[in-house]
Amino acid sequence: MKTINSEHHLDLTQEDEKHYSTLNLGPTHPATHGIFQNVLMMNGETIVGAEQTIGYIHRAFEKIAERRPYYQITTLTDRLNYCSSPINNIGWHLAVEKLLGVETSKRVDYMRIIVMELARIADHLVCNSVIGVDSGALTGFVYVFQEREKIYEIYEELCGARLTTNLGRVGGFDRDFSPAAIQKIKALMKRLPKVLHEFENLLMRNRIFMDRTINVGGISAERALNYSFAGPNLRAAGVDYDVRVQEPYSSYSDFDFVVPVGQNGDTYDRFCVRETEMWESMKLINNALDNLPEGKFYTNVPAFNLPPKQDVYSKMEPLISHFKMVMGEIDVPKKEIYSAVEGANGELGFYVVSDGGRTPYRLHFRRPGFIYYQAFPEMITGSSLSDAILTMSSMNVIAGELDA
Amino acid sequence: MEYTILLQELKNKFEDKILSVDEAADIFTLTVSSEAIKEIVSYLKEQQSFIYLTDLCGIHYPEQEKELGVIYHLHNLVANKRIRLKTFVSKAHPQIDSIVSLFSGANWMERETFDFYGIDFVGHPNLIRILNVEYMDYHPMRKEYPLEDATRLDKDDRFFGR
Amino acid sequence: MSDKDKYTVVEAPEGYSGSGFFATTLDKAVGLARKNSMWPLPFATSCCGIEFMATMGANYDLGRFGAERLSFSPRQADLLMVMGTIAKKMAPVVQQIYEQMAEPRWVIAVGACASSGGIFDTYSVLQGIDKVVPVDVYVPGCPPRPEQIIDGFMKIQELVGNEPLRRRYSPEYKAMLESYGIKTDSYDK
Repeated sequence: MKTINSEHHLDLTQEDEKHYSTLNLGPTHPATHGIFQNVLMMNGETIVGAEQTIGYIHRAFEKIAERRPYYQITTLTDRLNYCSSPINNIGWHLAVEKLLGVETSKRVDYMRIIVMELARIADHLVCNSVIGVDSGALTGFVYVFQEREKIYEIYEELCGARLTTNLGRVGGFDRDFSPAAIQKIKALMKRLPKVLHEFENLLMRNRIFMDRTINVGGISAERALNYSFAGPNLRAAGVDYDVRVQEPYSSYSDFDFVVPVGQNGDTYDRFCVRETEMWESMKLINNALDNLPEGKFYTNVPAFNLPPKQDVYSKMEPLISHFKMVMGEIDVPKKEIYSAVEGANGELGFYVVSDGGRTPYRLHFRRPGFIYYQAFPEMITGSSLSDAILTMSSMNVIAGELDA
Repeated sequence: MEYTILLQELKNKFEDKILSVDEAADIFTLTVSSEAIKEIVSYLKEQQSFIYLTDLCGIHYPEQEKELGVIYHLHNLVANKRIRLKTFVSKAHPQIDSIVSLFSGANWMERETFDFYGIDFVGHPNLIRILNVEYMDYHPMRKEYPLEDATRLDKDDRFFGR
Repeated sequence: MSDKDKYTVVEAPEGYSGSGFFATTLDKAVGLARKNSMWPLPFATSCCGIEFMATMGANYDLGRFGAERLSFSPRQADLLMVMGTIAKKMAPVVQQIYEQMAEPRWVIAVGACASSGGIFDTYSVLQGIDKVVPVDVYVPGCPPRPEQIIDGFMKIQELVGNEPLRRRYSPEYKAMLESYGIKTDSYDK
């Protein structure tokens, strides 16, 4: 009989283990949004311990990255937290810019803020509506996915793809926001408050939802910090650590926004923190769009700034330099850096060690989902199975980020 | 700067365990000896308020004598300071003390480092593979192993330029 | 009630009709019923799963084609939709799920990763699910647009509508399943 391996030790005797039943949750299960397995030891309806197995979608990103030039790694970062790909893309470009020592213009920074906050809204919409689905409320999910379609339409205007966006370039973007894109963003910002209000009316003060989520799956701030939690899960536990405020990047310090913090670290707090972050993101987008400064949408990074497409197709030298850049025939300084952005789930870090060649020597992704999912057994011990399901969906574990 | 005071205090306590200091890197970096890593992390956590373990990963430099390395990133949230600790072990004796008793979050991070590099963390409650299949018998992120699956039969080398 | 001219219903198969009766082959009648009420099993592993969620949503609505009732239990599903990367760790699970499905069953591989391993040519990724289960339709894309997923689903519907009734009991079919290592000992009826 396998013993419980989480750090949260249980004093189980052989006698005890005979009375407990084992329940296998996953890897294919409707409630685990993503493929990971939980083997639960149960005493009737109460969970006594849990053992997790992950790695069912391990795609060896870090090994692949050692063989890809810097531009080709952007497509790998898309597939980390695939509900909010632009944040991963821009985070990677910020890491490369830190490696090269490049400063971007204000216009680029504000454009990046708009895109990243849209991605954050998209991710939180999925997470919150899925908490509703797991507690039995499917309506919110179907309503809210329409807004995600509108966000996909905006991504299509910016980069051509819906989900795995591969958006932007080192130093900025490949094209400016077209008038159609700006009009779509403004239309979405007018529409979203009504939809969010309706969604909140469904769930936030709903008696059944509150009974199911308050004091369920809680974690204290000390334990959360010890487990290296980050993002909305940590803020729901009461610690206001947000990378955008602590170490501002991409001109976030120009804006004034609130970082919502919860009290108990339970499922209801995580739901409310994500809901409030969506409102703050909307304020950020509106501010950035109203104050978008003039300037170039790209930065002249030598050997990373791809020439304009018309020149590539008509003149010889831009064609050669485009080929050389994408194939990675350029050199990068020999350094190691760690760069972090605030992803939708928390601090998404990139640790790059470069040895001067065309590919990184070592690239490590600090994935928030991988780190906070370790605490799941501790959070559900003592609760019932249905509480465990809600806790798991409120933590927003995305399999791509878990396994990389 | 603030780091000079920190460096002075660390040098006072662990004079010979600190092998090198890199103040010009983007984050204050120390290379320390592998026997003292748990003491140093514990000192930083308890005395210097570096209570947040940001990351723990491995690295492999085949040309060095001590090939396998573990890299720790710690963060002092209140004073907003980061620190990077590096420590190296040889392939023949890849043992390092585990810091799971200090940071519960290091549990899976150390398992991942073991899975990829084969570094043995002494004192870890459950050091088994986490991302790869259980029956895998090598540590894939080491530089000598290829990326592609070596057992594939359907790839024709003529088309892949090999 | 409603304007019958504005709505199209499913086309009737070829047959001979007269006053009060319609005669067609049993294959076609059963095929017609099956293809317009497929119960899919969404085996969503990664990014393609999110595009599937968008396909099930109100904008692209897979429910129009009769696939409204998703089944997460393989015992009650007709169509196994494998969406996303399958790692070597997951391959035995896919085969186990496929074995638990009752005949007739179809498999659609959505996305580049399920079709052939996609961009992940690594030691840990299965290079296509057709290494472990027989696949009927492949939908390429990374991720494929919802319209492409619906196109793949419509191709499955064509296959379902035209399938002969005794195909699943034929020796060629059994031999094919054996070649994947899938048990066929209950296939004698």
